Amino acid sequence: MSALAQARSPRDEFVAGAVEALPTLLGAVPFGFVAGVAAISAGLSPLEGVALSVLSFSGIAQLIVCQLVAAQSPAIVAIAAAFVVSLRLMMYSAAVAPHLAHLDRGWRVLLSFLLTDQAFATTVHHFSEPGDSRNRHWHVLGLSLTLYVTWQVAVVVGIVLGARIPATWSLDFAVVLTFIALLVPTVRTRADLAAATIAAAVALYAAGLPYRLSLMVASLAGIAVGMAIEVTHRRR
Amino acid sequence: MKIWLIIAAVSASTFLLRASFIVFADPQRFPHAFRQALKFVPPAVLAAIVAPGLLMPAGTLDFTLANPRWIAGLVALGVAGRTRNPLATIAVGMPALWLLQWAIG
Repeated sequence: MSALAQARSPRDEFVAGAVEALPTLLGAVPFGFVAGVAAISAGLSPLEGVALSVLSFSGIAQLIVCQLVAAQSPAIVAIAAAFVVSLRLMMYSAAVAPHLAHLDRGWRVLLSFLLTDQAFATTVHHFSEPGDSRNRHWHVLGLSLTLYVTWQVAVVVGIVLGARIPATWSLDFAVVLTFIALLVPTVRTRADLAAATIAAAVALYAAGLPYRLSLMVASLAGIAVGMAIEVTHRRR
Repeated sequence: MKIWLIIAAVSASTFLLRASFIVFADPQRFPHAFRQALKFVPPAVLAAIVAPGLLMPAGTLDFTLANPRWIAGLVALGVAGRTRNPLATIAVGMPALWLLQWAIG
């Protein structure tokens, strides 16, 4: 495509975005299913499980909330833990904001609500391609809506079927694999690698802490080490 | 009612974090150190989620061959590094785990 290529129509962009979502669904479907099962196992009613999913649309936040509710944690602990794992959404927001700044407020609210790890990657990649980017937000919407609808269906199936899928299938491992696939592209520099390694080590070491505090401590340690390495690097 | 409080608060906070810069603020107006810290949030948080999922499947550290998850996880890390493709990562990682589970039996 030349740099002078015409903008694709909103419809074409939307369809292309939806098609781009298809490979990620292989991870999203078992992940959503696991999140649905987790909600029921934690003692949430089907309505509560669906509400959590439809309103928060964040697999890891949903899983963390379910784990902590199941462990009878105070509400504030569950809310704080979900906040910490969702901090990465803030970084994504900062990264995609310049690409979406030309859109009206309604569009920006809509794409914010639908922002995921996958939508972040697609937005940054798609908007950096040459050519007329006028209708590219439709591409992001196509991908995000496909992901949203599929996710909710998978969660509902998980809620309905509950624990009827045999545990030997280890479907929960698909969740870990999804996060591995998300993690690897975020590690580009030596500082990124140090942040990830330290966070992993601290998460294992501090796993005994109550309320999944290990996740919070490990994340902060990783961020601190990443920043320290970046600072010393620049001084040289 | 506690659960509805959690649902409301978690949904509000995920939305506000997502909308933070897209709707409300210009990242350029924040201190450099803050933007630096943000950059390290995804690798740190994601690694902190992945590590226990691979090495502590039963809640305690298990670095033995009886735990197929970290081996399948290493395979998946390799595939993710080479292909950068979530589909390939899961398509190789799940069968790797099943195979190891079967082999360890």
